[in-house]
Parts: sequence; structure tokens; C-alpha cells
Amino acid sequence: MTLELKKLADYKDIMERCIRCSMCKWIPQVQIKSWKYAQVCPSIDEYNFHAYSGGGRMIIALSLLTERIGYSEELLNIVYRCTACGACAVSCKYLNDLEPLEVIEALRKKIVEDGEGPLPAHKKYMKLTEEVHNPYGEEPSKRLDWLPSDIKVSKNSKLAYFVGCTTSYRRKEIAIATARIFNKAGVEFQLLGEDEFCCGSPILRAGGEAQVLDLIKRNIKAFKERGIETIVTSCAGCYSTLKADYPRYVKHDFKILHTSELLEQLLKEGKLKLKKEVPLTVTYHDPCHLGRCSEPYKEWHGEIMEPIPLVRFPVPPLPLRQGTYGCYYPPRNVLKAIPGLKLVEMERIKEYAYCCGAGGGVKAAFPDFALKTAGRRLEEAIDTGADTLVSCCPFCATNLQDAIKANNAPIKFYDLTELVLKAMED
Amino acid sequence: MLDDNIYEAFEQIVGPENISQAPAIIDTYAFQWAAEVLNVLDGKPPARYYIRPAAVILPGSVEEVQGVVKVCNRYKISFKAFSTGLGPWNCVSSTNTVQIDLRRMNKIIKIDAKNMFAVIEPYVSGAQLQSETMKFGLNCGMPGAGPQVSPLASATSMCGMGFTSASTGFAGRSVLGVEWVLPSGELLHVGSIGITNDPDWFSGDGPGPSLRGIMRGFVGAKSGMGIFTKVAVKLYPFPCKPEWKVTGESPNYEFEIPNYLKLYVINYKNWDELANALRRFEEEEIGFMCYHLSASATLAGFAKTREELVTQLASHGRLKRPLTVMIGAQTEREFEYKKQVVEALIQETGGKDYTKKLKIRSISYAEGLRCMYGFHGFLITGAFQSTHGCMDNIDNSVHMAQLNAPLKKKFIKKGVIIDDQGDGLWLASFERGHMAHCEMPTMYNVNITESVEGFVEYANACDEMDLEEHLGLPFFILGDKKHEWAGPHCMNYHIWLRKIKESFDPQNIADPGFYISSKKES
Repeated sequence: MTLELKKLADYKDIMERCIRCSMCKWIPQVQIKSWKYAQVCPSIDEYNFHAYSGGGRMIIALSLLTERIGYSEELLNIVYRCTACGACAVSCKYLNDLEPLEVIEALRKKIVEDGEGPLPAHKKYMKLTEEVHNPYGEEPSKRLDWLPSDIKVSKNSKLAYFVGCTTSYRRKEIAIATARIFNKAGVEFQLLGEDEFCCGSPILRAGGEAQVLDLIKRNIKAFKERGIETIVTSCAGCYSTLKADYPRYVKHDFKILHTSELLEQLLKEGKLKLKKEVPLTVTYHDPCHLGRCSEPYKEWHGEIMEPIPLVRFPVPPLPLRQGTYGCYYPPRNVLKAIPGLKLVEMERIKEYAYCCGAGGGVKAAFPDFALKTAGRRLEEAIDTGADTLVSCCPFCATNLQDAIKANNAPIKFYDLTELVLKAMED
Repeated sequence: MLDDNIYEAFEQIVGPENISQAPAIIDTYAFQWAAEVLNVLDGKPPARYYIRPAAVILPGSVEEVQGVVKVCNRYKISFKAFSTGLGPWNCVSSTNTVQIDLRRMNKIIKIDAKNMFAVIEPYVSGAQLQSETMKFGLNCGMPGAGPQVSPLASATSMCGMGFTSASTGFAGRSVLGVEWVLPSGELLHVGSIGITNDPDWFSGDGPGPSLRGIMRGFVGAKSGMGIFTKVAVKLYPFPCKPEWKVTGESPNYEFEIPNYLKLYVINYKNWDELANALRRFEEEEIGFMCYHLSASATLAGFAKTREELVTQLASHGRLKRPLTVMIGAQTEREFEYKKQVVEALIQETGGKDYTKKLKIRSISYAEGLRCMYGFHGFLITGAFQSTHGCMDNIDNSVHMAQLNAPLKKKFIKKGVIIDDQGDGLWLASFERGHMAHCEMPTMYNVNITESVEGFVEYANACDEMDLEEHLGLPFFILGDKKHEWAGPHCMNYHIWLRKIKESFDPQNIADPGFYISSKKES
């Protein structure tokens, strides 16, 4: 909850205060509108044992910390069959102040520190990142293979488009659309090319804190050397890592923007004009790391007081990340500005959106689970009557499109930038 | 650990993915709200974990539940079932017990809007059911534990009082037809679903003598009498326009308060005034909610954070004996009538409308409709538990509150429970004031051993007071030791309770730890 980096043991008091109320399994109670879309945790939805919930993982963490249990294959599976989407934390913190997501992250770090994890799939991409600076094992020299020859890049711009590994190598259409929009709207930007290393998100989510620290230092140095002041990314994972996680390790003063925020700003300034009709009925999927997980951590200086006997709490209150200030409206405002496009909402949105299933190392280690979760999200999207599902994250894009294919689902998928580009085309 | 052949027998029924005895799985089932209290009661340190089950099993159908229970009988393994599973009574009471987690049985089987009932499985939550019944203009009862818990558990196996009990009754009275897997594994249909011709769920009684009392009694058997796999619960008119629109982001939600809904907090100077007012409001049958929470608990119900609550406590010293009333109506005319009745009753009973002095957010209306005020009790320390808990009438409840205050103050002075001036309680009437439930929520600090142990000492003293002062049986008299202590004071009910258990479960296969065992008294 604060900038301070904590070890698992630092959360003991919080773990002991869990009451197993199971709020972490549901969307916030006052948001429940139907039987079908009341639940919020992909992991417990799939595996059912209490251990697979946010609260359950806090109990496991406490059990491990207090040596009630030891390491086992089952324990590692439970800890890593979690997309670290943070929905449990939002629901818990509607009325409480426990930190299930932070505990899960601290537990993963402990597992790695103890040499017991992460899982082989995570180790593989961590090694690849160390070797070739991206988790896919692609050649660094091919990082800009997506770049069409007619795109104008301004080498000395203070604004960098941080493309991200997934967009660069797997979802090139997003990079192309983003760059074309920038050119058309007159946004000068530079690209880091081979000098762009993984932001560290997949490593951090798997618990690889030591490795990620090197990456963070290296990336910040590269940004500074290039005179970059503003970093724009079209990847939700990169966005939350740069914006929320980096300052916990190395303070920086770069302005971090998601493309949707920049596009909204350009629309307001009249620099982006969307004139062409895009006659689609669209529903928007909030990526977890653009939404609830993108809230920055805050500094806290205070002490634990006991204003009433036995009632101990931090004064001033600890700043909580409750999903309140995620990036929810920029993508929606951009969509609403597209002529002919109709936006319809799913039941679970914004801070209580259902995860696509890809994050937290799940897509790499448990692809079937990732696909089933995406299938659940697709069902919700289809239930809105939309013909198109839109999101703002290459990782969500990959997983949701995999599920569309696997389920032969009657819905198309676009990244927000692709629709914006359609609305800009002559 | 179960023997391999026993494990395999369970596995064949539910499939390998729905059974586990891995320590990382079963340890999470030993951890429960207030498990530390159970440990202290057992003479152990106040650990947050109670007893680990031998395995956890997740059946997906009534047939699988029956199969699991039959295997338990075959191998003399106890079972303990739960649905949403909040509370220490969901723990197993011995290591030779499998935990049956009914999470996979989560369907609303039907909503009969015309006859105003719904048939549900164990893992349907109150909020889920309400969100669906609202589509028919109907509402369901939810217990004080909140909307995230199971109405089936509340109706069949627990006490079942809620903040909306004024209009949705006490859950034990909402039970209609029941599908019940007996401790033997046989299936029993209670009520009209058990008849041969045209079975349906509309009645909980018959054919022949009603079994509802045997099934759940005062506070339910907590799985000690088998497993309830479906239940029909009564539905009630939704109190206002069944509209639900919440805007903003958590936790700063705004609720668009539907037409014809209004919340009052009415302040009374003393217990007599409060008792009279509660009775009169209920006699007039106008409250969707109508209950008393102590001043501090009332403020907690509307607070979003500990810090806010502490500030509020300091600012509302004049709030003495508040009565919270929520009225709802379908038409403006009905609404006007109810508002006028409230005004007249405030005048008649000598109360003061305190509502405007409080910071009541719009979302508190949604939380009221969804029975969420109780959950705010965890704000302060993350731990509270109730004592007493009789279900009698308003005067007896007030009498109990008056007697309890000096006892509670004694423990507050010792510094083991949190200072609520000694009057922290929840008093909710039902059956339109003819009956009332009263319990004394008490906050302690789960991280401080002396506080947990002090709370347990206080809770035991409360139980003794109930019997010595003839206040009614406390609701947490669970297990042999407590029943055998309380029984002789209460017409030896424990002998009869045990006979019921023996008739249905002579071998104690259904975990008797939070009910009563079929063993003879030692």
C-alpha cells in the first residue's frame, strides 16, 4: 500500500486479521447486478478450493511463514495459478484494509528468494529476458520489425513510445496503429528500438525482484540518456510497471501515459479528429494493469497509535490502493468520440472488471486456465449484445483473441488504437 | 491423511480435481473468523487456526453429496459441510473429519414470482439471489453476516437474523421445501416437495408431521444433522422501486436512491423509550428495516473507515439509544403515508429525528437494502464476536442489555475488550414486534493474546448470566460440553436434542462438534 517495499513477514498482522469473509471472491457487494456475473476471482472460479482465493492465499502465506506448511508442488501451483489481477484486493478494501494482492506478491518474492520458484515456464522467460531483453526470446534486432517504412520517427523527441515486448513481437498491429495515429495527429515521438528492454512486468509478477531491479535501473538510465521526459505505452502491463512499480525501487520523474490518455488529451486539444463512421457495437474490457493495478503507491510517514485501548491503527491512515484512480475513462471517452460507434458496458467494469486471465505469469505456466478465463470474459462481452470487444493491452488482446478462436465466438476483437485509426482514415 | 482406499473412494465420486488432502489446501480450512476463540475454549493458545480436516471435498450435485456421505458411513469418517463458510462453527471438530465445501453447488433453481419463493443451492449468495429476485420486484432475507453469505445456510443451519428482519423475517421461518441429505446418505424431501403427486417447493410442512423444527431447531445444527442441498426460501416485496444504480469507483460509490425510500435514525434517551418505540414502529408495520444498534455500532454502520468512525464517535455523544428505521413504498401516496406515520410515531414515542446530524452517504441506502451494516463491525479491529443471542421479545432483550452493561464494563475496565460504554448490542425484532433477537457484539483485538482470552472469559460470563437471569438460551451453545452445561437449566432440552441426533445419526458421522453428539452423557 505504500512505497516502502515489504517482506512477507511484514504482512503478518494483516494476514492474521483476515476473517475469511470471502468478500475477495465477489465483486463489491453493492455492485452485484446478477447471479451470473457476481464473482470476481478467476482462480477460485476455476479451482474452487478456498486456497485459490485472495483470502486463501493470505492464509497459505501465513501458514508458510509460521511453518505450518512447507514447500510443495501443490503450494506452488496455488500461488501461481493466480493472475495477480488485484480484484480480490479491491473487493476486500471496499470495507477493510487488508492487502491480499500485496501478500500474494510478497509470497512470490519469498518463494523466489528461497529458491523454490518460480515455475519452469517463468524461469524460462526470466532467463530469456536476461539474455535478449524480452521474455519471448526474440532477437533484439527485430524489435522494430513492425515499423512500417512510412512512419516518421523523431529521434530527438522528448516523448518516447515505449512499445513493449508483446506489442513489438506479438501484437504488431497495435504498434502500427499507434504510430500511424501519432503521425496523423502530429505527435512527435522517438522509439528506443534495440535499446528498449522489457519493462520487467512479467518478472516482477513472478516474484523475481532481484532481476527486475537491474532492469529498472537500466531502463531508467536509458530514458535519461535519451532525454526522454514523457513515456507513452500502449501496453497496460508496461504502464502499471513504469507508473506504479518503478518508483518503489527507483524514484523517477518521467511522465507515464497510456496511449488512451494521450488520445483523450489530443481529442480535447482538437489535434485528433475522428470523422469516419465506425458502425460497431462495442464493449470495453478494462485491463487490470491499466485500471485497478495502475494506481501509484504513496509515501507514508506515521506511526501506529492506540487512540482507544486495544484499537491500534496507523496515523495518518495508510494510503490504500483501492482501484479508485485507475485509468477507466480515457479509453471510454475515446471510444465515445468515434462516430457511429455504440458503447455498451459489461456488468463487471472498471475497478471490479473480470480479468482476461493472461496476467501474473498464468498465460505462460497455465495456458488452459488462461484460455478458460478469457472464455468467461467473452461470454460476458457477448451477453451485452456487442459485436466487438475492445481493449487496451496487447496481453489481453492475445488471450481474448485466442479464446475467440478456441470458442469460435461470435465477436471480433480490436485494440482501441485500431478503431481510432479506422475513424481517422480518409 | 486418509487411507488410500478411502481417498480413492471419495475421488471416484467427485473426480480428482475436487478432492485434496494437500497441506496447503486443508490448512486454509482450519483458518476461520474467531477460530482463536475456539482454541481458548479448548484451553489452548489463541491461534488463528483450529483443526485441519482430513481432506476437503467439493461435490457438484446432490448425488455426489450422497455418495460422499455414504463413503463416510462406510469408513466411519465424519463429515462437516459448509456453503459460503463464514464463522468458527464451519471448522471441523476432529481430525478424522472431511470438510465438504459446497461451493460448486451454486445455482438458483427457480424463482416462483407468483408464489413468492426461490429454490436455491448452498453456494448462492444473498446478493446474487437479491439481484435476481429484484427483477421480479421481490426481495429475499439475508443474515446479519452480510450479502456474501448463503441464504440456504442461514435458513437451514444457522440463527438467521438480519438487518431487514422487520420485513423479511427470521430465516428459520422462511424455509419452505428442503432437499436434505441425511447423515446416512439417504435423501429426504421436507415439505411439499416430498409429496408424490405434483411435488413443489411451496410449503415447508408435511406431508405428515413437520420436520422443520427437527431439522434446524433454534440456531441450526451446523451440518450436525446432515447436508441441505436445496432449499426454497420465502420472498418478500422489494421495499421500493427495484432499481439499482451505483456510480463512481470503490470505495467512493454513490447510489441513486430509488424512489420512495427513506432512512431514519431516531434518538431515544433511555431503554424504556427505545423498547416502546421499537414495539410501536413494528405494530404499525411500516419499516423495511427497524432495529436498534448501540450508538457506536450505528455510527460504525455508516462509517467507511476506522478513522472516520473514531471522529464520529467523538462528535455524537448525544446519540444515546438510536432506532434505525428504513421505510420504502411503491407509490408516492404510500410513501407519504409512511413518512407521516414515522413523524407521528417519533412524536408519540418522544424520539428525536437524528438523521440529519449524521453523515449518511447515499451508498448506505444500498448497503441497507443489501444487509451490509453488520460487516462494518469489523472496521475497528478486524475481530468481533457476539454473546447472548436469545430470540424472545423486545422487553427481554432490553432487560438483557441492561443486565449486561455492568458485566461488559467490568471487562472493559480490565482492558481486554474494546470500550463501547458497555452497551454495544444489536436488537432486531421480527414477526412485527412479537419476537426479537438480541446479541451483544463485542470487539477485541485478535493480535493480542490477553484480549482474546479476556473476550472468552467475558463470553462465558454472558452465557452464565443468560441462565442465571432466565434470559433465554444463548445462541452459541455449541457442542456437548456447552449443551450439557446449559441443558439442566433449560428443561433438560439437551437430552431431547441428543435423542434427535441419535435417531438420525447414531454413529456421529455428521460432525457433532458444533451441535451435539449422539453419545450418552458421561
